[in-house]
Amino acid sequence: MATTSIPPLPVKDTLIDPSPSLRYSYFTPISPLFNAYDRFSLWRADLGLPQPGTVENLQKEVKSTHLTNFAFDGARADLTKSLSMSPLFQVTHSFALGSQTAPSSYNFGAIFGSTQVFLQGGVDHDGNVSGRFNYGWTPSTVTKLQAQLSSQPGHNMIQLEHDYQGQDYSINGKAMNPSPTDGTGIYVGSYLQSITKNIALGVETIFQRPTPDVSEISSSYLAKITSSDKSWIATAQTQGLGILQTTYWQKLSDKVEVAADLQLIAMPNRREAITTIGAKYDLRLATFRAQFDTTGKVAALLEQRFTPTFAFLISGEIDHFKNQAKIGLGVMIESSSLTPEEMGMPPQP
Amino acid sequence: MPSEETKERIVKVIEIGRTVLHYGWIPLIIYVGFTRSNPQPSLIKLISPLA
Repeated sequence: MATTSIPPLPVKDTLIDPSPSLRYSYFTPISPLFNAYDRFSLWRADLGLPQPGTVENLQKEVKSTHLTNFAFDGARADLTKSLSMSPLFQVTHSFALGSQTAPSSYNFGAIFGSTQVFLQGGVDHDGNVSGRFNYGWTPSTVTKLQAQLSSQPGHNMIQLEHDYQGQDYSINGKAMNPSPTDGTGIYVGSYLQSITKNIALGVETIFQRPTPDVSEISSSYLAKITSSDKSWIATAQTQGLGILQTTYWQKLSDKVEVAADLQLIAMPNRREAITTIGAKYDLRLATFRAQFDTTGKVAALLEQRFTPTFAFLISGEIDHFKNQAKIGLGVMIESSSLTPEEMGMPPQP
Repeated sequence: MPSEETKERIVKVIEIGRTVLHYGWIPLIIYVGFTRSNPQPSLIKLISPLA
């Protein structure tokens, strides 16, 4: 047996060649390519560029500071029930009524999440279903599926998405309502690359094909500047047809964040600019957001937690130019069938 | 290009898949969550908003 086994390579040889297994393989003719690639990736790793985040989350900090995505009017109640912590499993019953803009609704939602799989679904009283499915192949490679299903024709939407985050770049590809028979649909590809420790540049290309003989392609460019201690972030994004959106976000202290958003539209028949400035205070049992913009709207949202399981929300908005006001009241109740120990919390005295 | 017959078949398969997803998605999540939860909850707690 000992005579047939291959003698181990001398230490000197393995030190010179980083991949000794390639030396006598079928890949020998193209090994210079591999060597060049290895050297290129080593050189790239030596630069120590940070991960720039994804294109979708470019304005994440600003969006979580502003209350545009959180504001509501009318009355609202959310009853969340956590049935398991790991894996995460919770169901939500949401009721909304008395809103000026949307009809009263009931929505049932369910969430299941483990380390690899995330499932989310919601159904409203009309029977419209929305769903989300994420599968993480590795921590940096995620495939996402999103769908809106309705019994009315023409209201269905399905989106396939794949996300890859490399060491200093991120790539994302999306297909919305792709049709395998005639190739219609909307396809989006994006790439974001760190070029220095603070600056990242990216491009997003949208290919639209609403009918088999009409197709349109447009690109938008992105830039993101992050301070070295990540206390402020500035972003800029052009969207085809002369729209520029710039944002600035700064963390003033542990509890206070401020954000500004400037949107410039310079189209041949429409020229306007909207600025929104907002602040968010994270207090011990409350979150307060306030913002105003140049269209004359002043808005505030208070989320007060009386106990860890009961929160009370007040949302208000005054439009000074149109003389309109909106107010919203909400409660959020979280109940759990688990004991505090099972939820991983320290026991209450 | 696929023939008209194949196209029709693909459209039909997608339509069936869409219907299955429409009615089966929420039950699937509840089934997966219910069977994998730790500890396993009781059914009444799962459905009723008040229990």
